[in-house]
Amino acid sequence: MQYRPDAIELLHDVAVLLEDRVLAAVSGPLQHQVRVAANLVRIVEREVRLAEAATVAERDRLLPFVDSSCALTDARAQLADRLLGAGTIEPDELARIHAAIVATLREDLAISKPGYDDWTGA
Amino acid sequence: MATLEDGLARWLTQQWGAEVQVDGISESSAGARRRNVLFDAHVGDRTVGLVATILPTVEIQALDPVAEGEVRTVAEQGGVPVPHVHGATLDDSWVGGAFLVSDRIDGETIPRRVLRQAAALGHGDLVVAQLGDALARLHAIDPALAPAGLTRPPDSAPVAAAIATVELGIESLLRPEPAFAYGLRWLRTHRPEEPARCTIVHNDARNGNLIVGPDGLRALLDWEGSRIGDPMEDLAWPQTRMWRFGADDRIVGGLGGVAPFRRGYIEAGGTWDDDRIRWWRVLSTLRWGLGLAGQAAAHLDGRFRSIVMAGSGRRVSELAYDTMMLIRP
Repeated sequence: MQYRPDAIELLHDVAVLLEDRVLAAVSGPLQHQVRVAANLVRIVEREVRLAEAATVAERDRLLPFVDSSCALTDARAQLADRLLGAGTIEPDELARIHAAIVATLREDLAISKPGYDDWTGA
Repeated sequence: MATLEDGLARWLTQQWGAEVQVDGISESSAGARRRNVLFDAHVGDRTVGLVATILPTVEIQALDPVAEGEVRTVAEQGGVPVPHVHGATLDDSWVGGAFLVSDRIDGETIPRRVLRQAAALGHGDLVVAQLGDALARLHAIDPALAPAGLTRPPDSAPVAAAIATVELGIESLLRPEPAFAYGLRWLRTHRPEEPARCTIVHNDARNGNLIVGPDGLRALLDWEGSRIGDPMEDLAWPQTRMWRFGADDRIVGGLGGVAPFRRGYIEAGGTWDDDRIRWWRVLSTLRWGLGLAGQAAAHLDGRFRSIVMAGSGRRVSELAYDTMMLIRP
């Protein structure tokens, strides 16, 4: 085990340092890089909190469209192969596949860019 | 070592056949690779505001500055607003890189400033109508006038070439990935005929490559990606979500609606095709996602280590999401 601070707390502290102190101390291209780095630390912070549940949910969502009881990576590969293959997929099932993919992307975005999926237009 | 001022003055003196002096040099916001240097050229009692666009010769990936100057001149002769080109050279001994020199046109170019100005003046719809007009003029130019350096799609088939690019990108970067597979399936099943006519396309006519003033669109910038292609691709690109900078309710560059863009294009003689434009919007969005995945791959395999390129990998899901919203069943 590790004593506290835990991973999420440490990532939070690193992000605050980058955002509040380092960003103001640098300029030019390095400032942009620090801004990106701070954002990536925030992403990883959210990933540590959210990814496990999202991974389980993604697999459950994909199983109806592939051979059941495979691992997530296999499920992704099987569905991608079905979509890229020449076989027919009925419109109803295609709509359900679309919904499943969007649900997974929403969970991805909750980690990488919260709020990005507020917009659902064209 | 010769200064930048010196190099530009000597080159312009040779170009214009009259003694030229240069001062007032300042760098405008530089792109990733291109440096834009603003300066004043004095010839006799006349002062001309100019811009030198400088590229390290080794990094030229698309059109070189000479070919870019040629296509901009052809566009200008067709009535497209572009900064007039005074000349270009691949000789990097003048200023340390290949470059082209064109007129300096005042106005906003940075997307968020363009959006702020449009919000303050309420002229966003005017700007997109003018953009439609400019692109119609570009697409009306006889492609036989295009400089030889412009790439042409194999067999005059830009649709097939674009699908092949996406297939290759998915295969090499993102397999297995259901969202991109779904997008590619849609592109295949909705694939349009090849265009009846290929034209010169700007290929990046979006917010960020426009000079905008209180009177509206003043010029279209950054022609290094121009090539021969389907004109509808040029109309799709400025409508993609990436170039709205958060102003999602205004489809064209966060500036204005599709209706004024369409009207501007048609009134200048263009033929608008909604279905083709939609197809190209889907393709362009998906392809941009693959581009971001490619940046992450370049970071990961060590070709270009950069925290910014690493971050691009975590943006791929944005483009996948945008694609899925465009093709909802």
